[in-house]
Amino acid sequence: MVVLREGMCPGLDEDVVRDLLEDLVASDTEELAQKCSVSYKALLAIRRVLLAQHTAFPVSGLDLYEELVSSTAILSTSIPSLDKLLDSGLYTGEITELSGAPGTGKSQVCFATATHTAHRLKQSVIYIDTTGGLSATRLLQMLQVQTDETGEQTEALQRIRVFRVFDIFSLLDCLHGLRCGGLQQASLGGGSVKAVILDSVSAIISPTLGGKQNEGMSLMMQVAGTLKTIAKDFNVAVLVTNHMTRGPGGEPQAGLGLSWSHVPRTRLLLERSDGAGPLLGSKRTATLVKSSRRPCHIKAEFDFNRGSRPEEGLLGGVRVRDGSDP
Amino acid sequence: MKPLSAAPLSPSVKVKLLRAGFDWEEELRGLEPLELSREGGLSLEEALEVQQILTRGVEQPGGGGLTALELLQQEERSIVTFCSQLDALLGGGVPLGRTSEVCGTPGVGKTQLCLQLCVDVQIPECFGGLGGHAVFVDTEGSLVVQRVVDLAQAAVHHCSLQDHDPEQQEAMKTFTMETILEHLHLMRCHDYVELLAQVHLLPDFLVRHSKVRLLVIDSLAFPFRRHFEDLSVRTRLLNGLAQQLLQIASQHSVAVVWTNQMTTQLVPVLGETPGHRAARGLLVPALGETWGHWATQRLLLHWEGPHRLASVFKSPNNMESSVSYSITQQGFRDASSSLSESKQPSSSLSESKQPSSSLSESKQPSSSLSESKQPSSSLSESKRPRMQEGQ
Repeated sequence: MVVLREGMCPGLDEDVVRDLLEDLVASDTEELAQKCSVSYKALLAIRRVLLAQHTAFPVSGLDLYEELVSSTAILSTSIPSLDKLLDSGLYTGEITELSGAPGTGKSQVCFATATHTAHRLKQSVIYIDTTGGLSATRLLQMLQVQTDETGEQTEALQRIRVFRVFDIFSLLDCLHGLRCGGLQQASLGGGSVKAVILDSVSAIISPTLGGKQNEGMSLMMQVAGTLKTIAKDFNVAVLVTNHMTRGPGGEPQAGLGLSWSHVPRTRLLLERSDGAGPLLGSKRTATLVKSSRRPCHIKAEFDFNRGSRPEEGLLGGVRVRDGSDP
Repeated sequence: MKPLSAAPLSPSVKVKLLRAGFDWEEELRGLEPLELSREGGLSLEEALEVQQILTRGVEQPGGGGLTALELLQQEERSIVTFCSQLDALLGGGVPLGRTSEVCGTPGVGKTQLCLQLCVDVQIPECFGGLGGHAVFVDTEGSLVVQRVVDLAQAAVHHCSLQDHDPEQQEAMKTFTMETILEHLHLMRCHDYVELLAQVHLLPDFLVRHSKVRLLVIDSLAFPFRRHFEDLSVRTRLLNGLAQQLLQIASQHSVAVVWTNQMTTQLVPVLGETPGHRAARGLLVPALGETWGHWATQRLLLHWEGPHRLASVFKSPNNMESSVSYSITQQGFRDASSSLSESKQPSSSLSESKQPSSSLSESKQPSSSLSESKQPSSSLSESKRPRMQEGQ
C-alpha cells in the first residue's frame, strides 16, 4: 500500500492527506466524504488520478513486436553449440540460467560470454562475482586467444566491470545501485551495458535458506524481481549461475527450489560427459531444461580446454571461431 | 527508491514497519527516532537501530566496482608449496584472496600440505616469498608442533643455501625456526560452535594482525560431521560459514585453505535385474555435493598404488590434471629427487599400472621417470573428482 503524500497529484494538499486513510481507493467514496469532510467531487477526482498513475499502461502486440525487432540483441556465448541450443545466444531483456555441479564449466561460460561481449561486440559487461571465482588472469587468457593486440585486450578488460558482493544485502544494494543509474554510468566508458552476469546466484541465496527461517524466500524473490526489472528496463541480457541438487530419484536438477525455477526464462543444465578420448574431462554436455523458443531436453556437447595459447588449435579457451560476428 | 523489504533489518522490525505503511527506505530517512518509534510501533531502541543501519547503508555504498583490468593488476601473488609440479599445476601456488579446498583420505597428507603452506607463507620477500604470517585453525587436534619445527628448519636451511646478496643475508637473520613458530597463530576449536564463533571473530583478528596472508582450517568437515540431526540446519550453517570465509579471503587478501574429509557414496549400478539392488561405492568429498561450489579451487590428494597424487578438479584458470608428490622428513616435496625433477618437470605422471615399473621406480627414481612417461599421457590422466574405492 502506498502512503499518500502531499503533492502526489493535483488537489491532494496537506490537509487532505492528513484526513485521508490509506485505503482511499478501496473504500466507499460517499462514506469517506462524510468522514473526512472533503467534497465528494474532489475525492472522486483524486481517486481517478491515483488509479491512472498506478495502473499498467496497455501496449498492443504490434508495438511490442516493433520494439522487439528494433531493440532486442542476441549475445553470442562464443560457444557455437551452446548458441545453437539457446537459439543463437542470450537474448537481451531475459534471464538465462546455467546450472551444474562444481567444475562443470558454469563460470567458464560466463567468462567466455563476458570476453566475447567486451571484445567482439565492444559493449560493456557487469560481472557480479559472489564466490570469488572470477579470475582476471583467465579472462586475459581468453582475450589473448582472440587477439594479439595488447591495446585491444586492455580495452576489453576495461569494459568488464566487476562487483564483488558476499551477502544478500550487499547484492540487493548493488542491484539497486545499478537500477538507479549505475548502468548508465558504467556505459560511459564505452559501449552500453548489454550483459549483467551474476555468478553465482545460489552462493548468495542458499545461506539464507534452510532451517526454519523463511525470510530467505522473500529476499530471494526481491533479487529475482530486481533482476527482471533490470533486464527489461535497460534491455540487457542477464546470465545467472545456479548450483545443482539431486531430485528424489537421484536425477540432477537446478538448485534453489521451485519458486526460483520460475525466474529464469531459459535454463541450461551443464554436466560432464563421461566420454573417452584424449581430453577426458574437458567435454561438457548442456541440456536445455526450460525454454520458450526451443524444444526442451535437447542436448548439445561442447568442449573447452583450459589451454592458453592459440597454437593449441581449437582449445583456445572456449572455442571462439564462430560465424556470427557482428 | 529502495524497497524496505530488501533492507538489512530484522524480520520482526521489518514486518512492523511494513504494517505501519512504510514501503521505501527513503520514507524513514527524514524521521526522528522518536517519531519513527511512534509511527512504526517500534521501541525506541529498535527505531534508533533502524536509523543507524540505514544511514550506514548510505555512507558506504557498494562502490562502483572494479574493471577487470584493475582486478588483473591485483591478482598474481600466491604461496608456493615446495612441490614444483603442484605449483605449476596451480599456476604458481595457492593464490591469495581465494579459497582452496584440500580433500583426501586419512593419512594422505592434507595436514602436511597445510603445515607446509604455513611455513612457506613466511619466506621473506627477497626470496620470492610473501613474508606473511599464518593462522591455523585446528579442529581435529592434528597439529604436531615437532613437525612444524622440522618443516621450518628445512625451509630455513633451503633459503640459507641461496642467500647471495646482502639483502637476503639480512633477511635470513629474522627468518629462523623461532620466528616461524612465533608467526604461526594457532586456534584450537573443539566443536562447530567454537569454529563458527572463531570465524566470526577472525576479521577483527586480521585487522590487528595485518601481515596474516594464510588462513588454514584443518579440518572443516570434522566438526560438521557429527551432532547434527537436522541436516538443513547444517547446510545453512555451512553455507553461512563459507560465505564468511570468502569474504575474509577477498577483503583481507588472505589465502584461505580448508581441508575436507572423504565419504562413501553409493551409486546404483545400472542394468541390474530389478529386485537385486547393486551399488558400488565411490569415494567423494564429504559435506555434500552442493558444498563443492564454495571453494574457488579444489585439490584432491589420493593414493595411486604406492604413489601419492594431487589432482586439481575444480579451478577457474588452471587445467585439470594430476601430479605426484611425496612427503619427506623436510616436508611436502616433489615425488622424486630434485635432480630428476628439474630436468623433466612434465614427466611426473605416475602411470603406476604395472607393479614392476613402480618397483623399479622406487629403486632408481631418475632413470625410470625419464623413460616411462610421455608428457602427452598426462592429459589423458586428468582426474575425475571421484575415484573407485576398494580395489
